[in-house]
Amino acid sequence: MSKPKVALYWCASCGGCEEATVDLTERLFDLVEAVDIVFWPIAMDFKREDLEKMEDGSIDIAIINGGIRFEEHEEMVKLLRRKSKIVIAYGSCAHLGGIPGLANAYPREEILKFAYEEAPTVINQDRVRPMKKTTVDGMEFELPDFLEYLKPLDEVIDVDYYIPGCPPTPDLTWEAVSKLLSGEIPPKGHVFGSDKSLCHECPLNETKPDEIKLEELKRPHQVVLDRSKCYLTQGVLCMGPVTRGGCEALCIKGGMPCTGCFGPLEGVYNQGAKALSFLASVIDIEDEEKYREMLEKLGFDPIGWFFRYSLAKGMIYRKKGDGE
Amino acid sequence: MSDGDGFEPTIVVFACHWCTYQAINLAGTSRMKYPPNVRVIRVMCSGRVDPQFVIEAFKNGADGVLVAGCHPGDCHYVNGNMKTMRRTVMLEKLLQDMGIEKERFRREWISAAEAKKWVEVVTEMVEQVRKLGPLKLAEREVVMNE
Amino acid sequence: MSSEEVKVEGACPTDEVRIGVYVCHCGLNIAGVINVKEVVEYAQKLPNVVSAKEYIFMCSAPGQDLIREDIKKCKLNRVVIAACGPEMHEPTFRAVLEEAGLNPYVLEMVSIREGSSWVHYEDPEAATEKAKDMVRMAVARARNLEPLEKMSGEVKQRALIVGGGIAGLASALDLAERGFEVHIVEKKPVLGGHAARMGQLNVEGRKVSGKDLVDYLVKKVKDNPNVHIYTNAEVTKVDGSIGNFTITVKLKPRYVNDKCTSCGKCVEVCPVTAPNEYEYGIGERKAIFLPFEGAYPNQYVIDPETCTFCGKCVEVCPEGAINLDEKEKEITLEVGGIILATGHDPYEPPVGEYGYGLSPKVITLHQLKRLLSEDGPTKGELVIDGKRPRNIVFISCVGSLGTTPNANQYCSRMCCSASLLEALHIKEKYPDAQVFFVHKDVRTYGKDENLYWKAIDNLVKFVRFEESPKVTVGKGEVKVEVEESTIQERLVIPADLVVLVTGMEPPKEIEELRSLFKVGCGGDGFLKEAHLKLNPVESLTGGIYLAGTATGPKSIAESIVAGSAAAAKAASLLSKDTIEVEPIVAVVDEDKCSGCGICVSICPYGAISLEKKEDGTRVSKVDPMLCQGCGTCGAACPSAAIQQNSYKDKQIIPQILAVFER
Repeated sequence: MSKPKVALYWCASCGGCEEATVDLTERLFDLVEAVDIVFWPIAMDFKREDLEKMEDGSIDIAIINGGIRFEEHEEMVKLLRRKSKIVIAYGSCAHLGGIPGLANAYPREEILKFAYEEAPTVINQDRVRPMKKTTVDGMEFELPDFLEYLKPLDEVIDVDYYIPGCPPTPDLTWEAVSKLLSGEIPPKGHVFGSDKSLCHECPLNETKPDEIKLEELKRPHQVVLDRSKCYLTQGVLCMGPVTRGGCEALCIKGGMPCTGCFGPLEGVYNQGAKALSFLASVIDIEDEEKYREMLEKLGFDPIGWFFRYSLAKGMIYRKKGDGE
Repeated sequence: MSDGDGFEPTIVVFACHWCTYQAINLAGTSRMKYPPNVRVIRVMCSGRVDPQFVIEAFKNGADGVLVAGCHPGDCHYVNGNMKTMRRTVMLEKLLQDMGIEKERFRREWISAAEAKKWVEVVTEMVEQVRKLGPLKLAEREVVMNE
Repeated sequence: MSSEEVKVEGACPTDEVRIGVYVCHCGLNIAGVINVKEVVEYAQKLPNVVSAKEYIFMCSAPGQDLIREDIKKCKLNRVVIAACGPEMHEPTFRAVLEEAGLNPYVLEMVSIREGSSWVHYEDPEAATEKAKDMVRMAVARARNLEPLEKMSGEVKQRALIVGGGIAGLASALDLAERGFEVHIVEKKPVLGGHAARMGQLNVEGRKVSGKDLVDYLVKKVKDNPNVHIYTNAEVTKVDGSIGNFTITVKLKPRYVNDKCTSCGKCVEVCPVTAPNEYEYGIGERKAIFLPFEGAYPNQYVIDPETCTFCGKCVEVCPEGAINLDEKEKEITLEVGGIILATGHDPYEPPVGEYGYGLSPKVITLHQLKRLLSEDGPTKGELVIDGKRPRNIVFISCVGSLGTTPNANQYCSRMCCSASLLEALHIKEKYPDAQVFFVHKDVRTYGKDENLYWKAIDNLVKFVRFEESPKVTVGKGEVKVEVEESTIQERLVIPADLVVLVTGMEPPKEIEELRSLFKVGCGGDGFLKEAHLKLNPVESLTGGIYLAGTATGPKSIAESIVAGSAAAAKAASLLSKDTIEVEPIVAVVDEDKCSGCGICVSICPYGAISLEKKEDGTRVSKVDPMLCQGCGTCGAACPSAAIQQNSYKDKQIIPQILAVFER
């Protein structure tokens, strides 16, 4: 019997997800033992043609990380989709847009202008911008275009499963892959991780009083957090309540409140809006002026606070065709 | 609806049962006129209005959203409207950061007796949003899984 | 995602959703503007709609028959009625559904009359379009409505009355006479509240004092075996909900037991004093004292704040009634309903406001009433600074109508009548006294109007101001300067006595009360009625009623009326064995709940608690009898685990989406 075929690919991502794969450490050998890695450009020399040559549906599992920001990403994931039985969106960027998705708060033009002209470290007197087509010494080169927005993977192709996290933990990765290889197939659309929020598994949950009432909010850099006490009750935003568990509460254990990388739970439409709602609810200020003042002083930044990983999913766009 | 002249905005209103919805009824029984551009969703308390609802409304085509409830101190549910206050203040900034003009999102306290205020708020808001035109957000083709 | 795709969980899971839409003409109220036929035809095409019909009056008997028959014939499991709003006919149509064998909660009413035809009558086309949109939204919402069961709970047929003032006493008496067990908890060591020290009242010209009324009520109350009185006691904890409250009461030590014969020997030896709060600060009392003559219980009490516990009183007490080691006790009461008759505080002007606190010649109305009372500190003789005042100036609206920066905005309602009554009292007692009534307004409403005319007849001089008067306190001299707004002349009145006509304020403890009993406060700071006009003695929390000045300024008569009304409302609850509540309460999906406690933190009724499960994790639990169905927990729940019945995300979100599915 031939071994299951696995493909790994990255799109707009930082490389952390690839690191996470390597962090499987010894288990990586078990994986290589169990499967045939047929495509993994970051680790081995695979070309697009290699993929094109494969029969449609011949790859068992394609694990794709990163968001879709370039034409190239779009083409490649569409190709991978065609060649694969199962596609997994791996990590926050593929799942929700992730950190690169924060760029969606700005139009494409503004990003290019800043990156190529205005950034303090840039020297570009001729204001040269990357061009789709360019001719050098009579030879024509073509670059993949920078798209209008970053899209999570499932807005470009059909996705079967999600492994969340920035990056996903090696244990969760291992659990998910071994489940799929053993034929334990969850329903389509399943997000690996816990079905409950991080609070449920948080080691500090015990210390949380039944009622939380925050007299004021603080930014994490303004306080020395007591690491033995629920961070939210100390007045800092912890995304734990609004974030899927399954990450082993690594940030919490490391002394940082949760920033929400595992994304929302089932039934939550918009992680950021929900985070805003729960936080606003437990602030114990009834005087609107005082409240506005407090937010002002904190440099209130709802996108940064609540949408760190989910802006590409949670941003308001008009669906194509609606605005006519 | 067309982009050019004659654009008629759609305003989604979330109204609490005890105050604003009663003001809307009173406007009805008093035969007060206001633009027909509003679509009202009744909830028991403005505190039920999840910021997700507002985002869903904008995402799906609302040109404006109004969240309205009882005046501070007058909430039928002790202090539900205070949660509305805190959520909408944050939401206001979020929507602006997402590129939505501030006139498109409003929070108003309208008591059961304030049919006139309801009419004024709605008339003014429809007028302002009509001037702004349709929501100018990038269109994005959403293909899969949503 | 479209509004149809939000799946129904729990409700008729195996059944196909079958919706009936009924569009009412309401005579010409709707049909005169909206093209009803077009709306019906439109509704017929909506997904899941199996029947759509119109009728001239849906609420009429034939209209109801039409719906009933349709429900059976078309096997409907959801009903949308486009007519008036839910306020009027929701109960009517819920009954129709029940009679046809459907659960009453799968009904959605959409008000195309108030919401469209009555307001867009000049544009019938737009009105029709709006009606179609509204019907489509209602259908989207109805698709996911779920059948709900009314919940019921046991009713403990006993009442708690917080506050033993005139309103509380009236409530207690009424309930006790109806046969209910009543527990009065009074914070002060005596019953009677402010009324007991109110002096003379205006009872159709007869001389009746507040004390007389209190004595009458107290006698009846204490002789009634159904009544249990706890003075010097405070409610510290309220658990449970309508029909079934568990109340924890702290019984503060009185240090003097009922062997006390009020001989007064202890007072003679007591070395410490404090301002006498029962005389509104006129004179002093000892640490051991009898709040006032003929108080109930007529028993001395020690104020532990003032007392040095020197033990001198113990030595002289002939009855051995004093025990300085007495400890605080705690009792619990199981009651079905609660009446809050927690009263008010008199407005206390800050030092310097109209010269208050700067001269003994400036006093408040409450102090004047004590001075003129026969049981008061001067036995009814008006003596100020050792002399009988001749020129007496009343200044009205002190602490009311926003006359000073510190004042409340509302009218305190009773002060005009009360002060004119005292002005007449002074005129009668000391005919040579000159009385000026410097007022912003005179509001002797209803039966008290005669006081105004009598005051004019008795030559009380009325001086009207727009701009607040100025009181200057010189060396032994007090002057009132006022711009008379009618004759537009500046007057300077030398005064031997200035009486500040002070109003009423919410009691200082209002915040504690509010959070203890989970009741709301209005903008004026007083406890808030469920509806100012329709439910003036009910709070926003089920099973808790409000009486007397707890909800705002009232006269003694009005307080008694409110006390009796609250008793009647409480009686209608207490006379039941069980109580049914609307099931639009919050429900928790334990599989989703992570026990983060956000809902627990924000529930205005304390209806949600965290329950520890066997594996040590916690989940939210809703007490459906306490939950009032506001849904704010659902808006905040970060896991979408807590949802409000009939207002779940899956019911509201499709309604939002449907707006745009034109």
